[in-house]
Amino acid sequence: MALGWWTRTAHYFWYIVREFTAVPLALWMLWFVVEIQRAQNGPKGYYPHSSTGFVIFSVIVLLFALYHSTTFLSLAGVILHFKVFDRPIPSRLIVLSQFGLWLVASVVIAFVLVYFGR
Amino acid sequence: MFAQGGVIAAVLIPVHVLVQGILGPLGIVPVVDRHYDTWISILGNPIVKLYLLVLIAAPFYHFAHRLRYLLVDLGVPAAKGVPAQVIFYGGAVLVTLFTIWLLLTTAPLF
Repeated sequence: MALGWWTRTAHYFWYIVREFTAVPLALWMLWFVVEIQRAQNGPKGYYPHSSTGFVIFSVIVLLFALYHSTTFLSLAGVILHFKVFDRPIPSRLIVLSQFGLWLVASVVIAFVLVYFGR
Repeated sequence: MFAQGGVIAAVLIPVHVLVQGILGPLGIVPVVDRHYDTWISILGNPIVKLYLLVLIAAPFYHFAHRLRYLLVDLGVPAAKGVPAQVIFYGGAVLVTLFTIWLLLTTAPLF
């Protein structure tokens, strides 16, 4: 297989981008682990990331995260199959429920993160 | 673990990146990790510890799988082999163990 096969069509390109989302997400989560670890330094040694570079990095990661979320949750209609009274639930409804779950979870988590902040 | 990690990454990670990575550092909203006292206080909650373990550890099994197949797709056949599996999935196990240790030793419960 040629090295640059994934640049031939948009479909291949976005497939590789989807697989690549793991890299920025993993890096951001490792930062998150560091943020927890910094709490072990005590009140004088703790400092959260605040640099412009970190915010720019987070914006880029957010774009990849949103791409991962939309592509992954859209697959739910293909993977998940449910029946109610022997009638299959339409795949669109299953996908919609996954996006609904994402929205509700995001609102709850954002509320907790902000409510307990100062 | 690939699917579960993928769902957890899809549902939970974007809001953390948005709030803790962008809105908090820009000072748009107050966020729990911006100050030591609020951060250590919430890290001491056992439900939060359990949540953070799932949030951090589960996606890494998904990431390991995707990265391995990304390398295969990009023409690195060695990524199919057992050593690569040990490295990638072993890495996810290491992140899990480190996170458990971190959560148990940061704002310990006992």
